[in-house]
Formats: sequence, C-alpha cells, structure tokens
Amino acid sequence: MAEVSANGVRLHVQRLTPADGADPAAPIVVTLHGMLIDNLSSFYFTLGTYLAHAGCDVVCYDLRGHGRSEPAADGYDMANALADLAGLLDALEISRPVHLVGNSYGATLALAFGLAHPERVASLTLVEPPFLIDGLGEQMERSLGQVLAAASHSDVERWVATQAGRSVSRAMATTQRLLKETTIQRDMLATPSFEPAALATLAVPVLAVYGGNSDLIDQAEGLASLLPDCVLVVLRGHTHAVLREATEHLRALTRWWLLDRASAPMPVYTPPPGAGFTVPDWVRDKTVPADLLSGPAGARSA
Amino acid sequence: MTTLDTATRPDLERSVLAEVTTMIHDVVGQEYAEDLDITMDTTFQDDIDLESIEFVALADKIRLSYGSSVDLVGFLATMDVDDVIALSVGDVVRLIADGVSGISGISHPADAARG
Repeated sequence: MAEVSANGVRLHVQRLTPADGADPAAPIVVTLHGMLIDNLSSFYFTLGTYLAHAGCDVVCYDLRGHGRSEPAADGYDMANALADLAGLLDALEISRPVHLVGNSYGATLALAFGLAHPERVASLTLVEPPFLIDGLGEQMERSLGQVLAAASHSDVERWVATQAGRSVSRAMATTQRLLKETTIQRDMLATPSFEPAALATLAVPVLAVYGGNSDLIDQAEGLASLLPDCVLVVLRGHTHAVLREATEHLRALTRWWLLDRASAPMPVYTPPPGAGFTVPDWVRDKTVPADLLSGPAGARSA
Repeated sequence: MTTLDTATRPDLERSVLAEVTTMIHDVVGQEYAEDLDITMDTTFQDDIDLESIEFVALADKIRLSYGSSVDLVGFLATMDVDDVIALSVGDVVRLIADGVSGISGISHPADAARG
C-alpha cells in the first residue's frame, strides 16, 4: 500500500499506469471521491484502471479519514482538504498541471482547488458536484446531521447487526466513526462561499456531468453559467450515483475529454429506457427505509 | 514470490493460489480469515464479502509481488464493474499464472462465460 504524508496526515494512494509505464507527457489524472461511505475504490474500478490502460498516469487517493488513509480526528474543512491535495502533489513530485476528476463532494473540492491553484490544474471533470454560491457548508452540515440520525436509528443498527453482510457493516462502521468521532460535520460550516468573479475568470476547462434525475440537477445550470469554459453534460435517466450507473459512458466521455477532445466529437449517450434510475424517497430524505427489516432492502442484503 | 520457471501449469496454479490465499488473509485480517476456506471457485463478493477497498489492497499486493508480469490494470480496465465484482479467486490466479508464464493477451472470465 502506497502512503504519503501530506499536510500532516497519512494518505493512501494508488498510482495506476499502463503496463509499459506512462509516457512522460501523458495526462496526469487525480481522482477525488465523495464523502463518508466512499473511498478511492469507486474511481479505481470505474475510471482509474480504464484511463490508465488508455495511456493516462492516474493517481487515486483516499481523502483523510476515508478508505485506508489516516483516520484523522479533525481537519475535514475545505481549506485542509485543499492543503491535503496540494501536499499530495508535492509529495509525489508532480509539478505539471493535473486533470482533476471528482465525484460528488470530491468534485466540489476539485472545483475549489482549481480556483485556489489554477496553475496546478489542466482541467476539471466534475461529476455531480454539490454547488451553491452561498450556504453550501450549512447545507452539507445539515445533510450530514440527517445521515447521522438515520445511521444511528435503532432499526439501522439492528439491520447492520443481523442482516447486512460484512462489507456493508464495515462501510457503515466507517460512516458512523466519521460522523461520531471526528469533526467532519461541523467542519462543513467552514466552507467558504464561491466567488462569482473568481468563477468567471477560471482559466481551466471544465467538464460538468449531472444525472437528469439527481437531487442536485437544479444546481447544474447555475454552475455552468458561471464558468467561462464549461461543457455541461446532463445524462437523462440517472441520479447522483451516475458514476456507477453510467460507468461505460463516463469511461468514453472522460477518455474523449482527456485524450481525444481536439480531434473527435463528444461521445453520444443513449439513455436507459423509460424513467431510468430514480432516487428512492428514503435516500432523498436521508431517512430509514420503512421496509428495512422486513422488505426488499433487508432481503437483498441478507 | 516463488520460483515458478519449471513448474507445470497445475503446480503453478496451486502455488499461485497459496500465495494469493496468504494475501487475502493479510487483507481481511487473520480473525476473519480463519473462517475462510479459499479455493479457485471462491468468489470475492458472495463468498468472502470483500470490501472494494480491500480488493484494491489485494491488487496492490499482487502488483508488488509479481510486478509488470501481471497486467492487472489492463485486466480490470476493460471489464464491466459488475464483472469485477463477480470475480473468483481462480480468475485472479489464472491471470497471474498466465502472466508469470509469459502468456500474452488478456482473457476475461466474462468472455469465457459468454462462450
């Protein structure tokens, strides 16, 4: 397991290259995963190995407290997250601008890093970033509070103890540890506002991807309209989990964005039939599914 | 890594299976490993219930042990995520055995299943 020390915290890193090694001029791709239940594996198995096999030099890392990185007690605010990434690039002696590819909150971090360090960024691929000019931190803090309440519900704890398998139980334990034993929830309140003037002058090309059925879809146009060089792709019939739901298309889309954009048209997407993927009410409301212990959710995981 | 130059294929796979089994034990921890009977047919998801980040750790151990002779990145890159989830220990053992034997090209378990 590769580990680096960055900004005073130990980070787990996986660097993926083609079998014969990356070309010295190959795009360097750095992935940023989402919060709580996520870790670097979500990118590793979807875009990481794929883009490395296509010729990129890919760096996947676990955010502090996630995956196999140090379970830090604090420092989950955005300023520290950006310092962690800058420290990671320094530790890996990466001086060329990198292509950041983020998912969910990792995409929000990627955008913030691009604004703070545009000279270190060649492009941004933002998959489902939560984005508000003001109040994002407060919204995130409330959202994490709802997740904590749901994860601590007696039905959920009983389900984890009796019906959930090993991997689900371990993921739940990580989520609960982050919410109960670290400052991650209140650190969200330190999220600074995005400055429209800074967004308007961001000299970094941005690929923004949202699912048409995502609960964040109303934020997509606002983000794209504030950026001077943004390609917005809305994938109809997909949710906030579009990275997992539409992996094959995101592989083709990011390969085009990183390697073929100058010479080829953007890949065309065929949406799933009908309404496609939708968000269950209990996910949108961050509550406990009513049939957790007796219905399909429990039965599926038993 | 065992010296495998003169091993027959069944010997080679047995040897690699033993090494991969040790790696899996290291990844999941000895306490859980004691209850696992790992064979070529053992699946990572249904039988071991390996976390995806643990599969990454296993892949890292394979890379460190076998180096560039095993193109795990290429193997995983062209598979559906669902195919990766459904992998068996034997799929990985055969990939390694192919690599250390110098067999070029990547054959996917999903392709074999599709006939």
